[in-house]
Amino acid sequence: MPDELQPLLPTGATVPNCELPDGTRLHELRGQPVVLAFASIDWNPAQVYQSEIFTRLLQEFDAGISSLEARTTTWHSLDWHSEAATQLGVTGQRALLLLDEQGVLRWQTTVTPGQEIRPGQVLAALEALRPPMSVTGEAPAAAGGVSRRTFLTATLAASALLLLVGASTAAEPVAATKNHPPMLPTPPADTVPITLTINGKTHRLEVEPRVALLDALRENLHLTGTKKGCDHGQCGACTVHLDGQSALSCLTLAVMGEGRQITTIEGLAQGDDLHPVQAAFVKHDAFQCGYCTPGQIMAAAALVQDKQKRSAAEIREAMSGNLCRCAAYPNIIAAIQETQTA
Amino acid sequence: MYPFQYQRATTPEQAVAAVAKVSGAAFVAGGTSQLDLMKEDVLRPSLLVDVSPLPLKTISAFEGGLRLGAGVSNTAAAIHPEVQARYPAVSEALLAGASTQIRNMASMGGNPLQRTRCPYFRDPAQPCNKREPGTGCAALKGLNRVHAIFGASTACVATHPSDLAVALAALDAQVQVTGPGGTRTIAFPDLHRLPGDTPQQDTTLVPGELITSIDLPSFTGRSHYLKVRERASYAFALVSCAVALEMDGKKIRRARVALGGVAHKPWRVPAAEALLAGKKPSEKLFRAATEVAFADAKPLEHNAYKLTMGRNLMLRALLETSGLQPLQGPAGTAFAASVGGVGGE
Repeated sequence: MPDELQPLLPTGATVPNCELPDGTRLHELRGQPVVLAFASIDWNPAQVYQSEIFTRLLQEFDAGISSLEARTTTWHSLDWHSEAATQLGVTGQRALLLLDEQGVLRWQTTVTPGQEIRPGQVLAALEALRPPMSVTGEAPAAAGGVSRRTFLTATLAASALLLLVGASTAAEPVAATKNHPPMLPTPPADTVPITLTINGKTHRLEVEPRVALLDALRENLHLTGTKKGCDHGQCGACTVHLDGQSALSCLTLAVMGEGRQITTIEGLAQGDDLHPVQAAFVKHDAFQCGYCTPGQIMAAAALVQDKQKRSAAEIREAMSGNLCRCAAYPNIIAAIQETQTA
Repeated sequence: MYPFQYQRATTPEQAVAAVAKVSGAAFVAGGTSQLDLMKEDVLRPSLLVDVSPLPLKTISAFEGGLRLGAGVSNTAAAIHPEVQARYPAVSEALLAGASTQIRNMASMGGNPLQRTRCPYFRDPAQPCNKREPGTGCAALKGLNRVHAIFGASTACVATHPSDLAVALAALDAQVQVTGPGGTRTIAFPDLHRLPGDTPQQDTTLVPGELITSIDLPSFTGRSHYLKVRERASYAFALVSCAVALEMDGKKIRRARVALGGVAHKPWRVPAAEALLAGKKPSEKLFRAATEVAFADAKPLEHNAYKLTMGRNLMLRALLETSGLQPLQGPAGTAFAASVGGVGGE
C-alpha cells in the first residue's frame, strides 16, 4: 500500500500565478472558478476517455439550468513536469484541483500510482462547491461557496483545464453528501496474529486482514512455489489445497486460512519421492516455461484424488481454471490421464 | 486493497449483529467475487465478518425438498446425489459456472449475491450508478454488448451474473434469512430486484441480513439449465435459460422458465409459462412461447443479438427438458448445460 500523498499546497491557499499550456496565467482567470486536472501527456486512451467522463459530469451537473448555452469545453492535457504542476505541488501523481472565483484552492485530490480519479470524487467536489439553495431557488454566491451558475458558466466557457498527471486516491477529505461518502486517507492498518497449518507444519505470523494467503505464503513464509499470475482468480497459478480441495490462494484471505489444512506445491512430494502427478508431468513434459506448473499440478493432484477415470474432455473442463500461456495443454492432459488410471 | 477490520463469526445471530452495527460492514464467505472487487477498489468494506466457520454446511431433507445450507460449497451442492437426481438444473448451472477452484470456495449463500460483471461497474475510473450513485451509467451509451434487454432503467443496464440464481428462480426456491429484524423467508424470484433509480441495491435484503439456507421445494418434474458463453468453459453467460417442467400425462401441468444474462435479476417469463400450461409439448408450442417471452425485450445499441440467441436458447432448453430433443451430455453435468460443447470438444 502506497504512503498517503500529501499535497504541497494546502486547501484554502491562494494558488500561484502559474502559466497554463495555452499561455493563460491563472490570475487572468480570477472571477470564475477553474477546474485543474493533471495527468501525463503521454498518449493514453484511458486518460483521454477519463477526460471525456469528467466533461460529461460537469455538463450533467449543469443539467437543471436551461438558460446556459451549451458550449464546448476545451481540455488541456498537461505534462506533470510542467511549471504549473510543479508550482501546485502535484508532480508525480494524477491530481484534480478546484479553484474558486478568488483563485483560492477549494478542493483537491491526488491519486497514488495505478489508481484512478473516481467520478464520484469529482461529483462530490462539485456538490461541495454548490452553495445551499435559497428559498427562491436561486443559488446565492455566498462567500464560502461558489454560485453554481457562475461556476459552471466559467468552467464551460473559460475551459475546464484538465491537467492530468498519473491517477489517485483522495488526499483531502471532501464533505460527504448522501450518496458520496467522504474520501478519507488510508487509515493505518492493524495486523492480527494468525496460525496457519501449511504442509503439516504450524506457522505463526502477523498479517493485516487484507493480506491474501498467496502473499502470506510468498512474502511472509517464503514459500514461493505458489505463483502469482493474475492475482484475480482467473489463471489458477496460485492454486493450493485447502482441506484437500483445490482453491485459489489469491482470493483467500490469510486470516481465513486459520484452522484449515493448507497444502502447497512444496508439500506434495514425500521427501525425494515425487507425487504421481509431479512424476507424470515430468514424464510427459507437461510444461514449457513452468510458471503455471505448480498451479496445474495442485489442481490436477486434487482432481485425481477421487480415482475417477475422466475423458480428455472432462479433464479439460475440470482444469479450465488453469491457464498455460505456453499451451502445454495436450501434455498436461496426458499426464493427468496417466495418473488417474495409475 | 483498502484496509478493513476482520472478525470471525461464532453464530449467525452474532454475525448479523456485528454487520448491522458497523457502517460499511459486510459478510464474507467464499470471498471469490468479493475479494476480487476489493482488489479492484470497487468495494471498500470497513469490516468483514467471516461467516465461513458457521455450521451452515449441511444438505438435508426439508418439507419434501432439500435444504442447502448457505455455507455449502458450490461443488458440494453440485455433486450431491439428491441434487443431481431431483434438481439437475441446479447441478448443471453450478458446474457450468466458474472453475473447479472457485466452485470449491464459493458458497450457496454467496453465489446469488455476486455483483454484476458489467465492465464499467468493475472499473473505478468509470461513472457507474451501481458503484457510485449519481455518477451516471457509462454502459448506457458505451459498449453494452453484454447488458440487459429486460427491466433495465436509465440509471443501470447491468445484468446479474449468477447461473445458480437462474436455476433457483425457475425452481421457485426459497431463501431463509436471518437479520436484525429476525428471520424471514424470501421467494427466490423476489430476492433480486430491478435497478430503477437505485441500482446500488442488487437485492431486497436489508443491511445485516444473512442468508442461512436455500430451500429447494418438493419437485417431481424435469429441470434443465442451458448456457451460451464466449468460451467453452469458465466464462459468464451471454444468455442462459433454466426450465422446470411438471407433466400431467402427456400434457404440461406447469412450466417455469427463467432467463439469465438478460436482466438485473433472473428473468421469469410468466406469460410464456401461462401459454405452456395445459398443452402438449411440441416445437410449435415452444416457439410460440419464446415469441411471447421476448415480446417486450428492449435491446440497447450492441445487444440486439440477445433476442435471437435468447429465443433459440429457450426453444432448445424447452425441447431438451421435455425430451423432444436429447441433452447434449449427461444430466446434471456441465456437458448438458453448455451450448457449443465444453473442454474443446
